[in-house]
Amino acid sequence: MPVRVRRSPLAKPDRPYLALGLEGSANKLGAGIIKHDVDGSSTVLSNVRHTYITPPGEGFLPRDTAQHHREWALNVIKDAVQKSGVSMQELDCICFTKGPGMGAPLQSVALVARTLSLLFNKPLVGVNHCVGHIEMGREITGAQNPVVLYVSGGNTQVIAYSRQCYRIFGETLDIAVGNCLDRFARVINLSNDPSPGYNIEQEAKKGTQLLPLPYATKGMDVSLSGVLTSTEALTMDKRFRSDGQPKGPDDKDFFTPADLCFSLQETVFAMLVEITERAMAHIGSKEVLIVGGVGSNERLQEMMGIMARERGGQVFATDERFCIDNGIMIAQAGLLSFRMGYTTPLSRTTCTQRFRTDEVHVAWRA
Amino acid sequence: MALALTLIAQGAEAKVYRARLHADRAAQDVLLKHRFHKQYRHASLDASLTRSRVAGEARALIKCLRSGVSVPGIRMVDAPNGLLAIEWIQGSSVRFLLGSSDEPLDEPVDGDLPVSDQPQEHQHPLEPYGVSQDALMVLIGVEIAKMHLADVIHGDLTTSNMMLRLPSSSPSTSRLVLIDFGLAYTSSLVEDKAVDLYVLERAFASTHPDSEPLFTSVLNAYQTRMGKQWHAVARRLDEVRLRGRKRSMVG
Repeated sequence: MPVRVRRSPLAKPDRPYLALGLEGSANKLGAGIIKHDVDGSSTVLSNVRHTYITPPGEGFLPRDTAQHHREWALNVIKDAVQKSGVSMQELDCICFTKGPGMGAPLQSVALVARTLSLLFNKPLVGVNHCVGHIEMGREITGAQNPVVLYVSGGNTQVIAYSRQCYRIFGETLDIAVGNCLDRFARVINLSNDPSPGYNIEQEAKKGTQLLPLPYATKGMDVSLSGVLTSTEALTMDKRFRSDGQPKGPDDKDFFTPADLCFSLQETVFAMLVEITERAMAHIGSKEVLIVGGVGSNERLQEMMGIMARERGGQVFATDERFCIDNGIMIAQAGLLSFRMGYTTPLSRTTCTQRFRTDEVHVAWRA
Repeated sequence: MALALTLIAQGAEAKVYRARLHADRAAQDVLLKHRFHKQYRHASLDASLTRSRVAGEARALIKCLRSGVSVPGIRMVDAPNGLLAIEWIQGSSVRFLLGSSDEPLDEPVDGDLPVSDQPQEHQHPLEPYGVSQDALMVLIGVEIAKMHLADVIHGDLTTSNMMLRLPSSSPSTSRLVLIDFGLAYTSSLVEDKAVDLYVLERAFASTHPDSEPLFTSVLNAYQTRMGKQWHAVARRLDEVRLRGRKRSMVG
């Protein structure tokens, strides 16, 4: 993309700004406090998270997740405020996730945000979850104008910034990549602690064979549901050994759960890297930023790095503190729009399960 | 094997060279498309993808050639090595000829487009071709209709993926050439043809100013050539337009 020298519409703050961010669009409940200082720097004062973990073989249901968030909200927020060393009175605004995500968990957290706003008389800022991920990734890595691959349990998108909007270049046509991996983890009964995706990654490191799976990129989009179905079907194959051991000394032609994890990862990540590369070639960018929970997968980061180097570019990624859903990213994106003069009046602090990344007006970027 | 390689562009998929296959002086230049090995992909996955994509592209081209659609001729296929050599087209892309409104690109959009000998003077780019803008739109509509009648779906119809031949280079053949069949496939479904047209409509809208009358004349020519099949495609195209971007995000 041609370098346009345009001044950022975001003025340097005349005083330090503080924001509390609350996130609970899926099974993580997060609270974090960020400070934007007069020299333009940002500091993470606290970043606390509590994850709702279900038994192996089970996913998280909206009602139970909302219940978890309600039970933990006070503890997590108290903890975040205490660790930050600032008081609620000093905050400039309270930011919460407006969407997208699961309805019931979103509502429970929004309710907490509204209550705090009324109690301490602080303005509210509704934040798009995806924009939160992007802004936090940019802040942490210092990437200027990257192509963003946003991969998590609920979202899979290739995004690039253009004219005050994060445009979606490619996305999944059916399920998200995190959903695909998590669901397969449940099929082979991997633990949900710390996360099914993490356990898939560890299992895949032991895998050796690549089994043929469908490869479904369509232009800049991907389709993942068929890959999941095919991998699931392979667990019914007579060559599959669920315990990973051969049946006897003559048993040579077999594959293990680790092989399936390996094959699934290799295939879906290759698809993701391919569509990211297409987007990079299309807009002529050399930077890639990976955000979202699946972004903490080191194999994905490695593959993306190889691709970026082949193109003479580089990859930016963050670790699990900022990749996986957290409160601080909501605070970061919320504070940016607050400094542009944007707040959400109480009557409009609703949540929505459907909130596209490209619906947000990115006022703070040139 | 190939001689005198000149790299023209690197897209996401492939590196594109201008090359010669023989030392013979009379040999003509070809466009060599190399789907190189992607280091990030598992070797066996990469090999099977490359093989099937090169073969798929060659197959689509052959199908077009057999049905009289104007596409570059095939000169060499080496699917296991990811090589496809096609006829070198002397001319310019339609995107260039229409004058795109976009910010000037540093490099060709997809690297798959052979752009050559673009006139440097300040005359209208269409002048050396002796074709009016309207006539060019008719050529586009007709070629797409011929391709769809052969049940080939291009998959990536943009003005960058169409070229106009310079009149001197080959007088007998059709002037407009459809290129880059990397995403092409075979389908007789009305849905796929309508989506193909919709992709082109969006490409026109995003790259060329005031493209509406231009695209309308493309569609008119397409309609005439498609004959009886037009109505079904037209109806589906209206539906596809309403769909807009595939879906509202869930979750």
